[in-house]
Amino acid sequence: MRDGDRVSRELALDASGLSRSFGDTVALESVDLTLETGGVFGLLGPNGAGKTTTVRILTGVLQPDSAEHLRVLGHELPGDVEAVRQRVGVQTDTALYERLSATDNLTFYGALYGMSKADAERSAASLLDRFGLAGRAAEKVGAYSKGMKQKVLIARALIADPDLVFFDEPTAGLDPEAAHELMAYVRDLSRERGTTFFITSHRLEEIESVCTRVGVLAGGRIAAQGAPHEVASAIIPEVRIRVAPAPGARLDMEALEALPDVVRALPDDGGAVVQANSRDAIPGLVRAIAAMPHDLVAVAEEPPTLEEAYLRLMGNGAASLKGADGS
Amino acid sequence: MRTSVIRAIAMKDLRESAANSQVLAPMLIVPLIFVVVYPLGLLIGLRYMPADEVRSLFEMVPADVFPTIAGLTDIGKAAYIATSYLFSAFFLIIPAMMATILAANSFAGEKERHTLEGMLYTPATDSELVIGKILGAVVPAVAFSWVCFVIYAVLVNVFGTPLVGRAYFPTPNWWVLMLLVVPTVSVFVTACVVWVSARVATYQAANSIAGLVVLPVLLLVLGQVTGVMIAGPGVFAALGVVLGVLDLLLLRWIVRTFDRERVVAAFI
Repeated sequence: MRDGDRVSRELALDASGLSRSFGDTVALESVDLTLETGGVFGLLGPNGAGKTTTVRILTGVLQPDSAEHLRVLGHELPGDVEAVRQRVGVQTDTALYERLSATDNLTFYGALYGMSKADAERSAASLLDRFGLAGRAAEKVGAYSKGMKQKVLIARALIADPDLVFFDEPTAGLDPEAAHELMAYVRDLSRERGTTFFITSHRLEEIESVCTRVGVLAGGRIAAQGAPHEVASAIIPEVRIRVAPAPGARLDMEALEALPDVVRALPDDGGAVVQANSRDAIPGLVRAIAAMPHDLVAVAEEPPTLEEAYLRLMGNGAASLKGADGS
Repeated sequence: MRTSVIRAIAMKDLRESAANSQVLAPMLIVPLIFVVVYPLGLLIGLRYMPADEVRSLFEMVPADVFPTIAGLTDIGKAAYIATSYLFSAFFLIIPAMMATILAANSFAGEKERHTLEGMLYTPATDSELVIGKILGAVVPAVAFSWVCFVIYAVLVNVFGTPLVGRAYFPTPNWWVLMLLVVPTVSVFVTACVVWVSARVATYQAANSIAGLVVLPVLLLVLGQVTGVMIAGPGVFAALGVVLGVLDLLLLRWIVRTFDRERVVAAFI
């Protein structure tokens, strides 16, 4: 399936102006998405934001009501849908065949991708081993736990070594260790094999740790898109500097707030978070703070996290600033 | 169309159905009654039935329809007509019922269990999906009907031959029925159920609506059992040819109108 030269030149996803409604409900409105081959895209958004609809449109299962263009792995949709499906793997909130074993579930999907029985069995065995299920591969999946079923669903999406993988809430039901391992595996496949991933998730720290690019869906529109730190900075433009005093030392909050370019200074976790009015002010501020008569152990910029940015975008600004105001 | 994909879909459906007791139970119980209990009950019971009741079994049938039974005893005539003609209608119910259960389980059942959507993301084409699903119901329905036929033939030969006085089974209408009508009825019923299943959300709904498809088959059975319409080889052959043509048209139409988006809409 993989074609190194072709893949390296392709934009894995290139969609513009995607719109889709269900009756009176607008699921997507003029959505633009781009992702380079080998990248990991994280699509964030609350329930009902249109994430699964986006996946269905990008895999050709649903048609957009309108689109300026829609190219997946270099193929136009809906025209080249069969070529796209041959190269993508999809894990969504679907179910497994509970009366069949994990191996049978995977090899059946391998057959749907046109794999030979031997190749499908080899790939299934390798994936089940990778996800720690080799010892129970012959058991009916009806007897599996939710987390184990989720692993089989993920393995199913990877059975034919796809160029582009869609994961819809892949870590739902996984314990933290398994979720961490999955994200590491995604990172490895992306870096070593050039596999492109499109992931939707509510677990923002996971998305931030693995994604090269994120998009935030809100009300059917892409509210922000870019590298995780770019998106976070765009949504939270304030510059924050964390000042950590030495044990026993006390910070003079009034003096901090009186420094030039400081908007406000708030106590936080025994130290302070100083909010400045621009990024250009950071060097001067750090020098000024360091020159104050406090014993300090650290003065560093505290970039906004994706989680803070997401929560602010979704209207929970107070929650995102909880750490900063010390409340 | 890739035959390997079609085979994989059909085999998967078959394995799933074989492991599902809710699907298996009615498929085993009803044929057991039609193929073993009724015929055996009649062939054994004929020996002990009052003569007028025995006569009533074949008097409703026009005598000229069965010239070959002219010299038989009343019990022989009743055994011959019942096993050769009246019971043949049951062999339309068996494949129709099996095909309905299997097709509804494989298509609407998969929608209900949320296993179908995953297949829609794969490179399996609409034709491969539909044909695979139909074969997954038709092949076991036909194969099981043939197994039932073999069992029935053995029982009739063992218990019916002494009553008739000679080996007479299977009569020509049975060969036409089993080789032509059973496969075409199975395809027809399955195709209808798949069409219905793609448009409803649950197995229950598919089964209920699909029941209407079996109605003409039941009317045929009724006509046969009551002697209103005695289907000989000619009638069965005509029925098989008509159904065969309908099957081809229906399959083409279903493949053409199969819409993944409509199926996915059930999950939204």
